[in-house]
Amino acid sequence: MGEALIETHGLTRRFGALAAVNGVSLAFETGRVHAVIGPNGAGKSTFLNLLSGELRATSGRVLLRGEDVTRAPPDRLSRLGVGRAYQTANLFPELSSGDCVWLAAQSRLPSSMLFFRPAERYPQVGVRAARALEACGLSQRRSAIAGQLSYGEQRQLEIAMVLATEPSLLLLDEPLAGLGHDEALRIVALLREVAKGRTVILVEHDMDAVFSISDTVTVLVDGRVLVTGAPDEIRNSAAVREAYLGGEVA
Amino acid sequence: MRRQALLLAAAAALAAVAFSGDRFWLQFLGKAMIGCILAIGLDLLVGFTGMVSLAHSAFFGLAAYALALLTNRLGLVNPLVTLPACIAFAAAAALVIGWLSLRATGVYFIMVTLAFTQMLYYLFNDSPALGGSDGLYVQARPVDSRVAAYVVIWLALIAVYLVLSRVLRAPYGRVLEGIRGNEQRMRSLGYPTRRYKLVAFVIAGATAGVAGYLDATLYGFVNPAQLGWRQSGLILVTVLLGGKGTLYGPAFGALLLAFIEHYGEKVTEHWNALIAALVIAVVLFLPRGLAGLLQGRPRG
Repeated sequence: MGEALIETHGLTRRFGALAAVNGVSLAFETGRVHAVIGPNGAGKSTFLNLLSGELRATSGRVLLRGEDVTRAPPDRLSRLGVGRAYQTANLFPELSSGDCVWLAAQSRLPSSMLFFRPAERYPQVGVRAARALEACGLSQRRSAIAGQLSYGEQRQLEIAMVLATEPSLLLLDEPLAGLGHDEALRIVALLREVAKGRTVILVEHDMDAVFSISDTVTVLVDGRVLVTGAPDEIRNSAAVREAYLGGEVA
Repeated sequence: MRRQALLLAAAAALAAVAFSGDRFWLQFLGKAMIGCILAIGLDLLVGFTGMVSLAHSAFFGLAAYALALLTNRLGLVNPLVTLPACIAFAAAAALVIGWLSLRATGVYFIMVTLAFTQMLYYLFNDSPALGGSDGLYVQARPVDSRVAAYVVIWLALIAVYLVLSRVLRAPYGRVLEGIRGNEQRMRSLGYPTRRYKLVAFVIAGATAGVAGYLDATLYGFVNPAQLGWRQSGLILVTVLLGGKGTLYGPAFGALLLAFIEHYGEKVTEHWNALIAALVIAVVLFLPRGLAGLLQGRPRG
């Protein structure tokens, strides 16, 4: 086992009587892609929301580099290096894609309480933004309005925005959901590039993509960890097939 | 560049009035420019940050009362002392009220700002020591020549406009734009958004303080109605009429309203209905306000 960048201990979130995430203890190792899969309602998105600070845990703890961040708000977690990409387009629909990424890059200034010098005269921000656009293949589309991009391009922009915050941990929530075949292939190729040298937690439905990108896979069922293992073990596990994959995987 | 040309022409025309020395126009346009400052300041919140505040008149009134109390009670008149003091007072009040109000969002935020405004209204209205419902005279005005007061107001309007334009182009202004577009995402990108909104609220409060100070200087009089929420509602209408999110739009909205009020009064005592009709027409046919007429295409 390598060193864990982020760990959860007995992480639990209840909505009324329902425990959407129930006593999940997992360690996510530095530099690896760790997928979290499971049937609908397994608690995957709730789990990501707990890690990104968008939901408060009912009980349990989240440790980032050993520091307890269970109650940290999203903006603090972002500054600590936790970058979150969203499943449904969560952009600035009225801004150009260049400006969306600019805002993401600007968030790495020590503070944006800067009132005098025009924003474009902070070259380090522009460089970071341009690099993220380039990495996601959007350099040509930087003046297009985010709300008018195609579905696939919006997903690229989503990832570009997170990259521009230079995260050490990347949380990806179903990056392939709703994409057509060609678009999905493009995003998978992008994810493969993005994952290099980064720590990634990937929640995804597309099994082929998960098994081809991930180093480790955790299966979540009814808010609990069913099993964690290498992609091959998961693919061949009878329990997983029973609980989740059904007849899909021969 | 039609916009720049129009702004320069308007600024020059307003400056030229100072040389006319005409009592009526100095008073009338001085008042109208104070309305411009109020509208520009509120636009920072409504148009650029997406926060609708009904407390704008409160900071206007607080600065005006602060001037009356400083001059009457402490004999402080010199504008180099009283102007910063009154602006600081309005900003401090905005810090406290904003800090409390920003715990709420959306329509609840509007209601909390409304509640604070009414609280202050009744505080001044019901306290004989603060002048009660009659208000207070400013016994010695910081600037007593009419022309000088007009020039000071003109300079203040230009300064507020230039400072806010500058701030909006800086990284801070981009953050406000992001908050307007998607506040939740801004938090997830690492911005503690409430802090940025609070600073915007304080800046807007300070500009309303400038307007309140100038109003008390121009008229030598303050009364509780200036603090009330109806006043805030009127400023909000001005911002929408002129075109929110443009700064200059609300300023033109304020000038237009001043003229409608003045000439409307001569035509009919129901001039308020004229304003209402105009607002309805603008909302229906010019959703980007008067400023929409100057813009070729929707803002990116």
